[in-house]
Amino acid sequence: MTTRHHLPGFLTGDRGGLVLLTLVLGAALLVPAGNLLLAESHPLHVPTYLVGLLGKYLAFALLALAVDLIWGFAGILSLGHGAFFALGGYAMGMYLMRQIGARGVYGHPVLPDFMVFLDWQQLPWYWYGFDLFPVALLMVFLVPGALALVFGWFAFRSRVSGVYLSIITQAMTYALLLAFFRNDMGFGGNNGLTDFKDLLGFDLQADATRAALFSATALALAGGYLLCRFITASKLGRVLRAIRDAESRTRFLGYRVEHYKLFVFVVSAMLAGLAGALYVPQVGIINPGEFSPANSIEIIIWVAVGGRGTLFGAVLGALLVNYGKTWFTGALPEAWLYLLGGLFIGVTLFLPRGVVGLLVGRRRDLEGSP
Amino acid sequence: MTTAAHRPDDTILYLDAISVSFDGFKALDGLSFYVRRGELRAIIGPNGAGKTTMMDVVTGKTHPDIGQVIFADRVDLTRLDEARIANLGIGRKFQKPTVFETQTVFDNLELALAGDRGLWAALFFRLDPAQRQRIDQVLETVRLTDHRHRLAGHLSHGQKQWLEIGMLLMQNPQLLLVDEPVAGMTDEETQRTAQMLKEIARSRSVVVVEHDMAFVKSLDCRVTVLHEGAVLAEGSLATIQANERVIEVYLGR
Amino acid sequence: MFRRFHRSIAALGVLLTLWPIPGAATLQEDLAGLGNGSFATRMAAVTRLGASGAGAVVPALQALLDGRLHRRLADDRVVVAEERGSVLILTDPLTGAELAQTTPDAVDKIRINNRLRTLIRATLGGLTLRSPDPAQRLVAAQAVFKGRDFDLEPTLRQVLEREAEPAVKAAMTKALAALRLANPGESAVRVAAATTLATFGGQEVRALLAEVAATNPDGTPREADPEVHRAAVAGLALVEERLRLMNGVGNLFQGLSLGSVLLLAAVGLAITFGVMGVINMAHGELVMLGAYTTFLVQELFRNHFPDAFGWSLALAVPLAFLVSGLFGVAMERGVIRFLYGRPLETLLATWGLSLMLQQLVRSLFGPTNQEVGNPAWMSGAIETAQGLVLTWNRIAIILFALAVIAGLALILRHTPLGLQMRAVTQNRPMAAAMGIRTGWVDALTFGLGSGIAGVAGVALSQIDNVSPNLGQAYIIDSFMVVVFGGVGNLWGTLLGAFSLGIVNKLLEPVAGAVLGKILVLVGIILFIQKRPRGLFALRGRAVEA
Repeated sequence: MTTRHHLPGFLTGDRGGLVLLTLVLGAALLVPAGNLLLAESHPLHVPTYLVGLLGKYLAFALLALAVDLIWGFAGILSLGHGAFFALGGYAMGMYLMRQIGARGVYGHPVLPDFMVFLDWQQLPWYWYGFDLFPVALLMVFLVPGALALVFGWFAFRSRVSGVYLSIITQAMTYALLLAFFRNDMGFGGNNGLTDFKDLLGFDLQADATRAALFSATALALAGGYLLCRFITASKLGRVLRAIRDAESRTRFLGYRVEHYKLFVFVVSAMLAGLAGALYVPQVGIINPGEFSPANSIEIIIWVAVGGRGTLFGAVLGALLVNYGKTWFTGALPEAWLYLLGGLFIGVTLFLPRGVVGLLVGRRRDLEGSP
Repeated sequence: MTTAAHRPDDTILYLDAISVSFDGFKALDGLSFYVRRGELRAIIGPNGAGKTTMMDVVTGKTHPDIGQVIFADRVDLTRLDEARIANLGIGRKFQKPTVFETQTVFDNLELALAGDRGLWAALFFRLDPAQRQRIDQVLETVRLTDHRHRLAGHLSHGQKQWLEIGMLLMQNPQLLLVDEPVAGMTDEETQRTAQMLKEIARSRSVVVVEHDMAFVKSLDCRVTVLHEGAVLAEGSLATIQANERVIEVYLGR
Repeated sequence: MFRRFHRSIAALGVLLTLWPIPGAATLQEDLAGLGNGSFATRMAAVTRLGASGAGAVVPALQALLDGRLHRRLADDRVVVAEERGSVLILTDPLTGAELAQTTPDAVDKIRINNRLRTLIRATLGGLTLRSPDPAQRLVAAQAVFKGRDFDLEPTLRQVLEREAEPAVKAAMTKALAALRLANPGESAVRVAAATTLATFGGQEVRALLAEVAATNPDGTPREADPEVHRAAVAGLALVEERLRLMNGVGNLFQGLSLGSVLLLAAVGLAITFGVMGVINMAHGELVMLGAYTTFLVQELFRNHFPDAFGWSLALAVPLAFLVSGLFGVAMERGVIRFLYGRPLETLLATWGLSLMLQQLVRSLFGPTNQEVGNPAWMSGAIETAQGLVLTWNRIAIILFALAVIAGLALILRHTPLGLQMRAVTQNRPMAAAMGIRTGWVDALTFGLGSGIAGVAGVALSQIDNVSPNLGQAYIIDSFMVVVFGGVGNLWGTLLGAFSLGIVNKLLEPVAGAVLGKILVLVGIILFIQKRPRGLFALRGRAVEA
């Protein structure tokens, strides 16, 4: 392993991470190639629907990474991370809506169809600027980040932790769910935002665009991994784990626990927002259902299945569970909820360290559940 | 009895008429006493006398209803939070050993290392040789050099207590509050711990809350007796043991 | 209101035909006059029929009003025609006796215009004012109040003097005052009428007084008589004040009702979360199981004992307690006990259980809503004169919720299980050392909390759709109640549930239902910052590691 010496310090010894990065970056190249360059008859041809499906999985994997960062390392079990994902998705959705321009059903040059339908005369102020991609991209990070900052500041400052925090994060996403269902919020109500046409001028239905979106998602996942790894391998990461295991002790050592929690919570929310923004153009719709508390809890099981506290485990878990979901909801739809429910129980009872725990064995007894 | 009226100039900690009540129960009732710089002080008293609450007040975990806690003759601690107080130079050891069990002994000490506690400092932290040496030194003091790469969770009970004391030393505090350090220790561990605390007290003030009279005796220091949230008596162990009221409420005949 | 009026009068028709018919011949003549082509003749006929005072004319006039009165083309006889399939059944308007069956083209419908309609109503009112049945007289007095036909004033005055029934008397007094105020007359009489009306209050009185108190666009009163105008304005203020109060009371009731629903949903959680520290995300599904138990019990009653349907809930309550309680014990023994001290893991595992229970019910009963009925004694409502409507099912649920919490308090305080539960909560090792089988107590405690969830399901099945998603709708609200009220305290749960219910309902008229709910959620999130352990938190002194 001579290459080890050329690695940045925070990746040393992270074998799982290196394997993951290699695979993800490889996929970023090979999947689009298999789709665009190989003929449909070729055995290695990757059909377009599969590109979209894999892209969706990778967006979920990024979301799982975000959740693992706070749950696995800082012990913050957020049952509302779907909200940050959805907010990022809505920010991207708003940009895509504005890109439709006059091509909507009603042909209005500025207003999206649903606003015309509601008989609105002008664009609400918070839709301004979303026609510009850089602004929308900024908002993808800023909106979830700001919500996490405000919410986290209140929660961590007054030391709401453990299950209480979980419950109020759930209430947060539930409140947003109710809010986004309202037509007068200006986000399309029940139906959400859909019928997107193009992104940065590229047709969203085109194979090349979809392949590019896939690659972008893979790169974002790799970047997200590197960021999370950098944070968790630093002393800051050790402080987070100290907070997770003995919060009081950390405080009495002089660390401002709330600052650390807030920092990692905001970073995590922004990653979740990015995941949402990458997800929306690939599935073609964003609606308030993404805010449903059940969605947020499902993210937790991805991380738990993979192995909380190991970043590549979270990614692995997201891919495994979502692949399982796709397969089962197709083949045995009745059985899926039993299986998902069973996963929740089985993993917590028998596999507290997830699949990665099984693979790695008891050699490293780091990052067990407290 | 020592009172606030004539406290000496070299006080490190001064509690002035502290009262705390929980749901009507008065945990501390006008508690006043002071600790001098470099002093080793033992606090004894029956259960519910307010020993732990007193530590909570000094370290900012509990805010008193009335009263002041003056540290180093200038700062009132009662309005500050735990982190701020810790950074002022007050360390605390819990009754139950609390170390970061999923991290190594070395990492535990590194986390306690005095220095900038800010986010960015933590994110880009690199251990320099001097700091590494300091950690090695403390490992030596608390007799854990051979265990430096073990997970703290795998240490014995006594070793965890020492690791916690070691972490307090890394903080380099001016004042150290230690809650029942020898509970559950073997006799030999108890003697070693007494040695350790005395060594530490050479360069800083230490307040020890303890039940074990033999251990208090081996500390050989001034003793404060708490009862019902206030000071009942203060003085050398011999004076205390002769005090009629102390015998009545605490030591027994 | 009018519909009810019609219905009750029609129902009374049978009774009225038994009255002696004075001068049946003249009545027949007047009746024939109704068939006459000119509206003026018809109006005269209606007036004469009314003046006869005969109860028998009530069904005839009612039929006229409803458009069922016809003229037979063959002999010009006035008849009541009822459609039955393709034929018409003709009956005598006065006796109700069946005359013949015919085809629709053999008769001609007797048409009425608006003036005639008003007259008929007033006449019917006058007639029924003299009815021997107090309920009828009450309905009639209320009708007169609405119709405000001044011609009825003398009749009303007469019947009022003889009226003995207090409720009817009050209604008549109110109607009389309305007649007097709404029609021109002596100033003093109208002022007195306005004052009398104001003492009654209610939406209708408000409308009436507002009419008299109204001003023209230039600010001058529309009412010519200044004294009457002043009395009306004063009365209106009084009535509006009282209406606001009633509105408040109504909202309060709504709030109490919502609060009791929340209380029922949350109180089981208060035990499992509050006493045992277990976050049971499947709590809502235990509530749902209780609702489905109710459904099954009702099916049983429908198919085998339809007469005893009113008692179905009496069986459903204990059965639901057992079903959900047993599920709870099974969950505790099978899963939760391995996770004590790991609240976040418990949360996830119970969420898994909730998914499985939902799917189980969906597989067994299908995803659609199940039909669960209200027993007869729970339908209907109490209505006060001021327009406050308190439905019986809501009242029943409020009382039921209070009874459940009282029963629970008794169990916790006065039974051996309650004592052991408290002992285990406070000091597990000590309780174990004293010979309490802590595992057994855990299972029973969890079973108790779950059983109460089932009982809540019985209550919720009466006001909500019974579907596999029932539990999900309540779980977040229940957690909010427990968190807001403070953990481990029944009082906190009670107060938390009712205050959240009331705040929700008070916000609703101002902010709308959804926004109101969002505001409440945001409020709780902020509240938790201030008091992280809820309203009734115990402050401890122990340092947690």
